[in-house]
Amino acid sequence: MFGIRSDLPLRRDTASRFVVWLVMVLVFMASLAVTVNSYIGVLIDDWNRSVTGTLTVQIPIAAAGDKASAILVNKVLDVLARHPAVAKSEAVPRAKITALLGPWLGNSEAISDLPLPALIDVEMATEGTEAVTAVTASIKAAAPEAVIDDHRVWLNRVMSLAQGFGVVALTIMLLVTGALALTIVFATRASLAEFAQVIDILHVVGAKDGYIAAQFARRALVQGIIGGAAGLALYAPALALVAWLASRVDSEVLPDTALPAAHWLTLAALPLAAGLLAMLTAHITVRRALSAKV
Amino acid sequence: MALGRKKAEEISGDAVGLEAVGLHYDDGPDVLKDVSLSIPQRSFHFLTGPSGAGKTSLLSLMYLAKRPTRGNLKLFGENVTQAKRGRLAAIRRHLGVVFQDFRLLDHMSAFENAALPLRIAGVGEAVVQRNVNELLNWVGLEDCKGAYPAQLSGGQKQRVAIARAVVNRPKLILADEPTGNVDDTIAMRLMQLFVELHKLGASVIIATHNESLVARFPFPRLHLDRGSVSILPPLASSAEFDHDDPRG
Repeated sequence: MFGIRSDLPLRRDTASRFVVWLVMVLVFMASLAVTVNSYIGVLIDDWNRSVTGTLTVQIPIAAAGDKASAILVNKVLDVLARHPAVAKSEAVPRAKITALLGPWLGNSEAISDLPLPALIDVEMATEGTEAVTAVTASIKAAAPEAVIDDHRVWLNRVMSLAQGFGVVALTIMLLVTGALALTIVFATRASLAEFAQVIDILHVVGAKDGYIAAQFARRALVQGIIGGAAGLALYAPALALVAWLASRVDSEVLPDTALPAAHWLTLAALPLAAGLLAMLTAHITVRRALSAKV
Repeated sequence: MALGRKKAEEISGDAVGLEAVGLHYDDGPDVLKDVSLSIPQRSFHFLTGPSGAGKTSLLSLMYLAKRPTRGNLKLFGENVTQAKRGRLAAIRRHLGVVFQDFRLLDHMSAFENAALPLRIAGVGEAVVQRNVNELLNWVGLEDCKGAYPAQLSGGQKQRVAIARAVVNRPKLILADEPTGNVDDTIAMRLMQLFVELHKLGASVIIATHNESLVARFPFPRLHLDRGSVSILPPLASSAEFDHDDPRG
């Protein structure tokens, strides 16, 4: 392998044949975790971008009637127009509100007669909670009954959920790393036992522990890369399927933003990472086992 | 090579030095009882004694497969009793060991087996090819270099094992019954190889039961009996040896 001579009869090694298969499964799981983690990052960015910098002001129906409501709305619009932290503000047209309610209440003429609260969309010029607080205070001064929603509560909850998934993905990565290392430790120990006599001979003819460890490490590297590539090959169609399913979901909920380059690079690096981890683990395992000998 | 650093000591030191060495396995009885022994460099000894006297154990101490239970073991003047593993590997490269049961690697051809010490030491492939071919020709294995141990007779395996032991031009050759599986002609040829290496500066210790072989060479005998060693004079005189020189 790699054109480098091996002194161990590795083709006869029954003890570690399962390693490639296990690495394949582990890399498949790691790939899934990487994608979940990346996609959550994309989602959070997207939601954040669409939500921060906006406020929704709701002016409840005034008991005094539509006219009083309209006056209040104009008063608030006036305040907002003069506020330095506000970039743009406009009343949501009644037609748009009824359209939003359509799915729940039906599109009948009757809706247009319903008393509805007025909504004002606000785009902030200045970001940050301080500006939001200042704008909120100004609105409240003009119209104490106004309800201001900066979408923070909603966003924070959705973000916690997303971050929860992120933590799960990271945990999967850690577990996969641990499982891979343990797999290599046990497989290497089994090989050491299987090749005990060969290793004794290699020692007698002058091989150092590092030389023998390097042979196991090289084999583990190759197994890790092959298993990793197989896991990735298995993952590609799975990812394509999920991407297709996601593309059918409403784009308001799941933005069809492309996954970042870092995601694809991380996926591509997984087989090599698996190989390097396997190599290092095998090397350490052999060194430790041999150092216990005479 | 790490031994280079100790050259001055090496020249003055014995090939093998045992100081009150004792060896036992687990809680068993002593296999070796306080053996003290000096084997000078460039010497040739037979190691004799009844079966179970501890010949193989004594050799395995010398090729560093075991450590003494007590006492000190020195190789080339260096105390190896407590030496680190990395150091032992460096010292082993100056040893050539022939096992009674050959211990060839089954998955390697005769050539690869014989070449193993050179390749492990990182010797260039051109030198490996030249030296191994030459040596295998010398021991009469020119026709089975590519054969695997399973395809070789006992005598052929023995010659591959000897080739592997000496290919590195070791300073100390330890052989356990190296002529046990070959006919007299081959035995004499192999002995001649050991004698040649001895003349080139190696120390040789050959454990054997073969009284007639011992009787043909003027080399002293380390006689091992019930865990103790005594040095006995050669059975053959030098004059007889010259007369019996296999090349003559």
